[in-house]
Amino acid sequence: MNARTAGAGALLCATALVAAAVSTALADGDAARGEKRFEECAACHSVERGSNGIGPSLHGVFGRKAGAIPEFRYSPALRRSGITWTRESLDSYIADPQKAVPANRMPYAGMLGAADRADLIAYLERATK
Amino acid sequence: MATKLREVDVVVVGLGWTGGILGKELAEAGLKVIALERGGMRTSDKDYALPGIRDELRYVIRHDLMQNTARDTLTIRNNPSQEALPMRRLGSFLPGEGVGGSGVHWSGHTWRWTDMEFKVRSLYEERYGKNFIPADMTIRDWGITYAELEPYYDKFEYTAGVSGRAGNLRGEIKPGGNPFEAPRQREYPLPPLTTLLAGEMFAAAARESGYHPFPRPSANTSRAYTNPDGARFGACQYCGYCQRFGCEANAKGSPHMTVIPFALRNSNFELRTHSWVTKVIKDSDGKRVTGVAYTNVLNGEEFEQPAGLVLLCAYAINNVHLMLLSQIGKPYDPVTETGVIGRNYCYQTGTGATLFFEGRHFNPFMSAGGSITTIDDFNINWEFDRAPHGFVGGYNVSAGFNSALPIGYRPVPAGTPQWGKAWKAATARWYQAAMTIGASGSVMANRYNYYDLDPTYRNAFGQPLMRMTFDYKENEHRMGRHAAQLINNLASSMNPTKLNPAVARTQPWTVVPYQSTHNTGGTVMGSNPREAAVNKYLQSWDCHNLFVIGANVFPHNASYNPTGPVGALAYWTADAIKNRYLRNPGPLVQA
Repeated sequence: MNARTAGAGALLCATALVAAAVSTALADGDAARGEKRFEECAACHSVERGSNGIGPSLHGVFGRKAGAIPEFRYSPALRRSGITWTRESLDSYIADPQKAVPANRMPYAGMLGAADRADLIAYLERATK
Repeated sequence: MATKLREVDVVVVGLGWTGGILGKELAEAGLKVIALERGGMRTSDKDYALPGIRDELRYVIRHDLMQNTARDTLTIRNNPSQEALPMRRLGSFLPGEGVGGSGVHWSGHTWRWTDMEFKVRSLYEERYGKNFIPADMTIRDWGITYAELEPYYDKFEYTAGVSGRAGNLRGEIKPGGNPFEAPRQREYPLPPLTTLLAGEMFAAAARESGYHPFPRPSANTSRAYTNPDGARFGACQYCGYCQRFGCEANAKGSPHMTVIPFALRNSNFELRTHSWVTKVIKDSDGKRVTGVAYTNVLNGEEFEQPAGLVLLCAYAINNVHLMLLSQIGKPYDPVTETGVIGRNYCYQTGTGATLFFEGRHFNPFMSAGGSITTIDDFNINWEFDRAPHGFVGGYNVSAGFNSALPIGYRPVPAGTPQWGKAWKAATARWYQAAMTIGASGSVMANRYNYYDLDPTYRNAFGQPLMRMTFDYKENEHRMGRHAAQLINNLASSMNPTKLNPAVARTQPWTVVPYQSTHNTGGTVMGSNPREAAVNKYLQSWDCHNLFVIGANVFPHNASYNPTGPVGALAYWTADAIKNRYLRNPGPLVQA
């Protein structure tokens, strides 16, 4: 149990480091391009308030705790992740969802390009308010 | 006593691909449309989301998305001298039920059937002579051409989000596509799916033998996609749970996430679920229908729904059953070869080999519905001379994986015990190291393969069950032998550690195990009302305001999956109704 806790701590540190490293790239995101990137998400996610599909609504996602919409059935992994959605945490989650939150249920392999993710996040910042 | 409801313009029976397409198109054209679906409502977020959808026991073994044989089924026999018995559990084929129908649990394989099918009799007679076609093989031209259907294939492919690579773009043969396909006006909407290792190895062996491998066109979106109506698709995740499942990522083109939501948003369209149509009602003069009778299966209440137009859009088998129950069109009699309803029932045939490669890792659990590499050299390749082999039709050959699931997919070399320690050891050793090569073959219509009403058995509504009389004939046996030999030659050239060879099937068809949900014919299309139930617009020859849409109109069955032409014909019929029938209601073709 101790070893597991220690491992989780190390993972969090690593995530924080990665997030710090990419935060400058995030600042350059282009929301118009990001809207196009959102096509990869739109089959399951809406930015409208209360509009849950296969995935939960992304309205108001920034600053929200992961797994917080009461009427959506999240995976236990996401509910227990302790994540609060910020540019940085969204960036690492979208880059490789299974690495960021193992055993989460989002059927998506990840968006590889850091610039694409920055564009997407810039769009989400605008569209989810 | 049935409650008579207010008349509407159109009643659609069954809400899958064809009902969804026609319902949407006709509601948008301003008609009041009611869709009656015998199953329940189903949506991606409520019914197909993770984790519940990845349940092989529920969906594959227990047929959760399929029709319930306790309520209605068929009786089955191989030939008219036998007594048919009811199929009490689904097996050989798996018709779907509920909103979306079989378009939810299909794999997505979307082919364009060509003039090789539509002109089958004239092409074979021209090249091989009239005597090449056996006397009891009741194949005939369909009365439609590829050129007529091309824009509608295109429309369906773009609606369903088909991934593929053109092999013939406006007459120009393109590398990497299927060189035998008929010319298409534009590319597929999406690039092909990723080729699996098994497909790569098969493609290399096929090329070595001079054949032409290509990625199978399939409505599994290779990347995120928005179709022309605005329906949004995610990218296929190669999750391995495709065939018999709804898609967890909205990445499989299905009516419940494309055409049906757009129909439902239109105030001209109304859906009634759990509504089981028992009969199409004929007018007293027999030249028109006036609506349908249906039962609410939740409470047994009976209704009559009058309508100006009736569209039968149920599963192919159920459409034929409804025609027989409603006594529209003369039932087919194989002795006198007269009548039309029930004739030319066809199925498909196939064979396959399993190849074991010590040390290879195929990752069979990681696949899309259509991540399959295929050759058509013995299918729609007219250069392939059938004369020395003595069969009509063709077969496609393929390798790859589609839903190789933990309960059902346990490849072991022939001779392995079927249970116990040795079986477990072989499963562990070979699971990752096995691949298959399979052939899917056409079945030509035969005088003695048909449907009629069973004289003995009845369904939950007290109506006669439909009786299916079917067996493979010598034509299919000959093709099977050719396919098995071809597969075994290819497989041997790949030097597997062990090989379970393909064997041509010559045993009578049985209703177990699963073979293919590609049942065709029964109300076939054609230009002669004495041989066909519907004309080229799928309009009943008997009642001009009745259209019967689905694979039930195919006069014979090709080696290909049927959904491509089923979808194209639905759009074709929608156009015929909108642009011609509504302006001048009556027969669209004069007999």
